[in-house]
Formats: sequence, C-alpha cells, structure tokens
Amino acid sequence: MSNLRDVYLEEAEELFKRIEEALLLLENSPEDSSSLIADVFRSMHTLKGNSGMFGLTKVADFLHNLETLYEKVRSDHSLLSEDIIECTFKSLDHVKKIIYDPEIEEQENIDENQALTDEILKILKRTEEVSIDLHSIEALSGMVSYLVFFQPKHDVFEDGTNPILLLDELAELGKSKVFSHMESKALSDSFDPKVCYTSWNIVLVTEKGLDAIRDVFIFVEDSAMIEINELFDGDILADQEFHERLPEVDLPSAPLSFDDFRSLIEIDRPSASGDTEIEVIPETTDSSTEEKTEKTESTPEPATKKAPVETKKTSTSTSSSEEPSVYKNKVKKLFDKNKTASSIRVSSDKLNELMNNVSELVTTQAALALFTKNNFDPTLDAISDNVEKLTRQLRDISFGMTLVQVDNLFSRFQRVIRDLSSQLGKSVRFVTEGGDTELDKTIIENLADPLMHIIRNSLDHGIETAEERVKNGKPETGTIKLMSYYSGAKVYIRVEDDGGGMDPEKIRKKALEKKLISKDDNLSEKETFDLIFAPGFSTAANVTDVSGRGVGMDVVRKNILDLRGDIQVESELGVGTSITLGLPLTLSVIDGLLIKVKGTHFIIPLAEISKCFELDRKEISNEFNSVIVLDDEQLPYLDLRKEFNLGMEDNPEVTSVIVVHKLGTKIGVCVDSIEGEYQAVLKPVGKYYRDQEFISGATILGDGSLALVLDAYKIVERKMSKQKVTA
Amino acid sequence: MEKNILVVDDSESIRELVGDILTKAGFNVFKGYDGRNGLEVLTSTEENMSMIITDLFMPGMDGIDLIKEIRKLERYQYIPILMLTTESHMAKKMEAKKAGVTGWMVKPFEEEKLLKTVHKIIR
Repeated sequence: MSNLRDVYLEEAEELFKRIEEALLLLENSPEDSSSLIADVFRSMHTLKGNSGMFGLTKVADFLHNLETLYEKVRSDHSLLSEDIIECTFKSLDHVKKIIYDPEIEEQENIDENQALTDEILKILKRTEEVSIDLHSIEALSGMVSYLVFFQPKHDVFEDGTNPILLLDELAELGKSKVFSHMESKALSDSFDPKVCYTSWNIVLVTEKGLDAIRDVFIFVEDSAMIEINELFDGDILADQEFHERLPEVDLPSAPLSFDDFRSLIEIDRPSASGDTEIEVIPETTDSSTEEKTEKTESTPEPATKKAPVETKKTSTSTSSSEEPSVYKNKVKKLFDKNKTASSIRVSSDKLNELMNNVSELVTTQAALALFTKNNFDPTLDAISDNVEKLTRQLRDISFGMTLVQVDNLFSRFQRVIRDLSSQLGKSVRFVTEGGDTELDKTIIENLADPLMHIIRNSLDHGIETAEERVKNGKPETGTIKLMSYYSGAKVYIRVEDDGGGMDPEKIRKKALEKKLISKDDNLSEKETFDLIFAPGFSTAANVTDVSGRGVGMDVVRKNILDLRGDIQVESELGVGTSITLGLPLTLSVIDGLLIKVKGTHFIIPLAEISKCFELDRKEISNEFNSVIVLDDEQLPYLDLRKEFNLGMEDNPEVTSVIVVHKLGTKIGVCVDSIEGEYQAVLKPVGKYYRDQEFISGATILGDGSLALVLDAYKIVERKMSKQKVTA
Repeated sequence: MEKNILVVDDSESIRELVGDILTKAGFNVFKGYDGRNGLEVLTSTEENMSMIITDLFMPGMDGIDLIKEIRKLERYQYIPILMLTTESHMAKKMEAKKAGVTGWMVKPFEEEKLLKTVHKIIR
C-alpha cells in the first residue's frame, strides 16, 4: 500500500502539471476552451477519485467543490473567468501542499483550506445566480421558438441508440413540429438496414431555455450533429401562416437550413412578436409528424462517407476558427499525450544501480581488451570484440534510460512566467521549442535553479514595460523564448528575450564602480558582457524581489560549470538578450583524449578540444611570454610538466600541444604524448582533492591504473588570471 | 483455474490498487490504461476474460464507449462489466446501462465490497 501511495503521489504531480498546462492554454486561447475545460475537469475528477481512494478524504472534499465548479464551466463556457482560473491556480498550489498533509493539521493549511473553499463556494454561488438569471429572463419572455437540427451518424443504431426516443424527449419540452429528411441513397439498391439515413429538423416552442434542449442530446453529442438555433422570439407554431407555408418546404431532398426557416417567418413578418397568444397547436400535428419519422427511420439508403460530424452548440453565433495556430498545435499536442505508448515506472535508485554496474562493466571490458592485446589468442580476440560491442550497446541503452525530455523542465517555467509577468505588470508571451530534447536526469534537476534565475532576469530586467515597448516601436507583448537543441556532443539550452538588451557602457561603469576592472582595461564587447558573471555584479538600478535574490549570475555560471557545461551571453541594445547554456548529454561518461605527461595519464574531455599540434620542444622553450603562434593565431599556453612540477628532464624531443577552448577562450596545453581517444567513466575524486585546481574527476583505465580528468575551464581560467597578473 | 479480469483505468494508482486487491484474491489481472488500450488488451489476449472492470471518465475512449465496443465483439458480447467510478449521476448510469454495463460501483470503495461484488458477478 505504501508503494501504491508513492504511485498516487507521482500521479498527482502529473495531474497537477496537466491541469496547469491546460489552464495556461485556456488563458491564452479561450477559443479552444471546450476540449481544455474537459481536460481540466477530467484531471480534477481523477485526482479527486484517487485522493478519496487513498484515504485522503479531506483532499477529495476540497477538490469536490472545484470539480463542481468546472462541471458548471464545462456546460457553459462563458462562465469561465479570470478569477476562476486564478482561484484554480491557488487551489492547485494548496492541494500540492495538502497531499502531504492529508489530515490538514498545519495551521497554515487549515487557514488556506478555509479561505479557498470559501472563495470557490462564492464563485459557485455566483455562477448559480447567473444561470438563474438567464433562466428568469427566458421565463419572462415566455415562449421561444427554436430550430433544432439533429443528424445522427450513420452508425448510430449500433450502440442501441434510438433517435426517436430523443425526439420524444424533445417533444416533452413544449410544442414541436418535426420535419424528417432522408438521404436520397436510402432508396437505392445498396441500402443497409443498420444505417441511419435520416436527419431531423425540429421546430420546438418551449419556455425551458437552450440548456434544457442541450440536455436532451447530451449523450449523443459525439455521435450526431446537433445544431440549436433560436428561430423566433415567441410561439411560431401558433402562427397559422407559418403552418400554411410549411408543406411546400417539407421535401425529402435536402434538409432545410436555418435560413430557410428564417425566411419562412420573415416573409410577411417584418416585426417579431406581438401576437404571441394564439391558440394551442392541435395535437395532430405532432403525431402526424412523428408517424412520418418512424417511417423514415426504417427507410433505407447506402452508407455515404461523411466527414466526422461536429457538434455545434450555441445559438446563431458560430464558433471561431481563427485562433493562433501555435496554441492550436499546443492544444493538439496536449491531447496527443493521451495516446503515449505504454511505459513503466522505475525508481531512480534502481536506475542508478544499473548505471553503476554498467560503468564497472565498461571498465572491466577495457581491462579485457588490454589483456587480449597483450596475449594474442584468436579465440579470445573474437570474444573480446564481442564483449566490447555488447558493452557499448548496453551502455548506450542504459544511459538512454536516464535521459529525460527537457519538456518537463520547460513546463515549470510556464507558470512562473505567468505569475511574475502579472506581478510586474508586463505582458509576456512564453514560447518553448525543442522540448523533446533529452538530457540526463541529474543535469535537468540541477538546471532548474540557474534557468529560473536567467528567466527571472529576462522578465525583470530584459522585457520592458508595455508603454516603453510601444514607444520603441515594438509589439506590446514581449516574448521570452526557451529552446533546446542538439549540436555535436552537447545539448544547448537558450533563453532569448526581445527586451531592451544590455548596455555595454552601463556594465562598464558598474564594473568600474565595483572595482572589477580598472580604468585602463580595454575590453571587447564580449568581455564586457561576461562581466555580468563576475561575483558581486548586478546592473539593475533597483533590486526587485523578482530577480534580486542575492544570487548573482556568478552563481548561475558556477552551477553550469559544475555540470561541465558553459554559458554564453549575446546582447544587442534595444533588440534583446540571449543566454545559451551548452551542456554535456550525460554526466557519468565522457569522451576524452587520453594523454601522457611523464608516465602519468590524464584525460581531457573531447568536447573541449579544438585541435592538436605536434611541435618541437625547442620551439616552445624559445617562445616569449608563454605565447605560441599556431594557425596564425597567438595562443597562450601551459606546460603541464611545469604546472605539475614534474621536472624537465627526459623531456621528449617532440611535444604535443592540445588546443582547449572554453567560454570562447582558447589555450594551448603541452603534453608529452597523445595516447588516443578514451571512453572514460567519470568517478568523483575524494574530498581531499576538492581544492585542487585542475582536476574534475578520475577514471580507471583498462590496466587498473588511474587517469585524472582535466577540467578545461579551470585550466583556461587559471591561465588567464595568471596572464593578467603578469601583464 | 485462475480467472482473468481486465481492469481499465487511466489512473495508474487506481489500476494498481484494484489490480493488487484482485491478485491477492487469486485472480489473474490484465490492465488497460484507457478505453482504447483496454480494448486492445482484450482483443490481443488469447485467454478469455471472465470479467471487466472499467472507469468511466478516461481520455480518448471513455468507459461507456469501451462497453459499446466490447459488446460488438462476438467473444465478449455477454461478458460482465463493472463500472468503477466516482460518478453517481442517474443520467450517466442510464447511458451506461443502455450501452450494456452489468454493475456500478462508486469510488471510493472498500476492498471487501469490491471482492464481494466481483465474486457475485463471476461466481
């Protein structure tokens, strides 16, 4: 049961996410409301049901009111208002808390529960009043004539629906006259008795209102086309002239349209109403038409393929179809999710265990490969090759399992942006792209905070207020774009805004003020922008509680670097800013270059290497100020022998220079020799080595010896800071 | 011989819970995550089901549509179907009845009651 409880909690989280997504879409595109509202309602319903089932009765009780509200909204979309959505968001946040406090014992939760319940009940009461109001208006005006067009799908008989029963039910609402119509194919040879060829036009005079009519058809909405239009404000069936004209139009050839009926009324009825109280329509009209319908029902015709039928609900106004396609696609996507292939849930502990074992296997396989190389045996060779192939596949598959779509991460921000933009009084559109890009779960978890900070910054400092934007000739609504894409062995995540951009002058001034640079420093634009990552830097004139939380961009950069990623800023004044994060696909395995310095192995991540050169040792030792010229480019370089104090004796004649790049800076690293590419399973070095300057981890080589993994970023940083000191 | 029961619910927790209860009681449980999937399981499984338990509100194909579909299958034209739902509206019940539901049970339910109902239906 406790196991199942976890499933309940996980599922609840999913449902929260789903409801939030649907609500956000609802806010943006109220036109698409019906499917979204239905989705919210269903998710809420499931959540309530599950909560009740797992003994969280108080949670279920709380959700019950909310569900009732959405049930109302579902049947009348116009009820949906901003405050309902706002209240739903608040309620969701509340439910998120109380599923962990199911008895609602914490004072804060008790208060919140009461407050929100009151709010929901208030809204509920209001909606009731509205519907009562509508009713009374209709009741006051008395009889209204409606034209109901009812066309069941061809296969309607198959589930046992009898359309005639619906017509009967409709007739109970008031006076009615039924016109039946049959497809011409009903009379041809290919008649299929199981197919419904008939459709009906019903002129219904009732005082019960539109809702009552809709209720009749509520269960066949999906299997029939139903149109309900208000024909006339008054009792049209009481009008003798209308009757006289009717037989002429009751033809089986084509169903009459609303306009046809309308014209029947309007011919000599310039003014509506007036003579409403004429005598009641004789019973015979009803029965005769019903006879007719019964006849037609059993009358035949072949099945023609008709496009899926739509349900139209509201009177005269037809539903709009011009909503922005973006939202439409999104709505579609949201519903596609319903159809996701079956998957199973595995606890992350088990996955970690699997990953560990696979890592060990990779190391063992390397040992086997080495042994095979040294002891030539054709049989062993073949086996070793096979093991290598299988290990590689197994590794790829298991690493693939730990990858998670960034979509999960992206959707979190949707909500944040919504809340913040309203808090800041800015209008912002949030666009995501490439949500299906996959990344290691651990990376995704650690990305949330830095990304949040970047997005907050964009919202707070980037996007201007609506007035300012209009003044600068930009659309009133700002856009923040969050996208993700693969490139090489990396995943890039990019936050783009079309806000004011950063002013290099301002940054320079600030940096001077904070003594981060000196007056004589001549910085390129890029270097200037990079200053925002310096510890203790903040350009915002006034610190708001949105982004000024004491955590600077320096922490963001540190977080990203800890993930072995990098971060780049681009900005143009008045046009916008974009911040790009480059991240490794996974944290536990890296493709590296195995190098040797005086008998010791090191690994440099391949992703950070741009080129390798072989040079004469003498060329390097002759260089001035530790700068060599390679490819017509001056490169600062670092001799690992020197850095690690390994001594200069038995230095090889030819040395290799590996050009490492990080954060847009290149640097040469001199090593004795390059051994080749190596798939390194990264292991953390112990805490004794935490403070060292170059190493980001270690890996075990095939022969059981250790190789240290060099941290390119730290090398670059160290070299640059050293240069500054010497310069 | 073990009897087979198909449990259809879009909520994983309910599916697992009902599954657990039935498995403990000695039934062989099959699961479907929505109407369409339930139908797939039904048509693609060789063994015969003795009973179906389904939720009402599900995305895609809901419980009632599922029942309608099941009743079209020659093999399962008469199989007992229990609707397990939080819904208790008369209108929905009538609709389900029309579609051919055998029994109706409202969530939240007690384990004992569920088993009793199942035994009564399957015998």
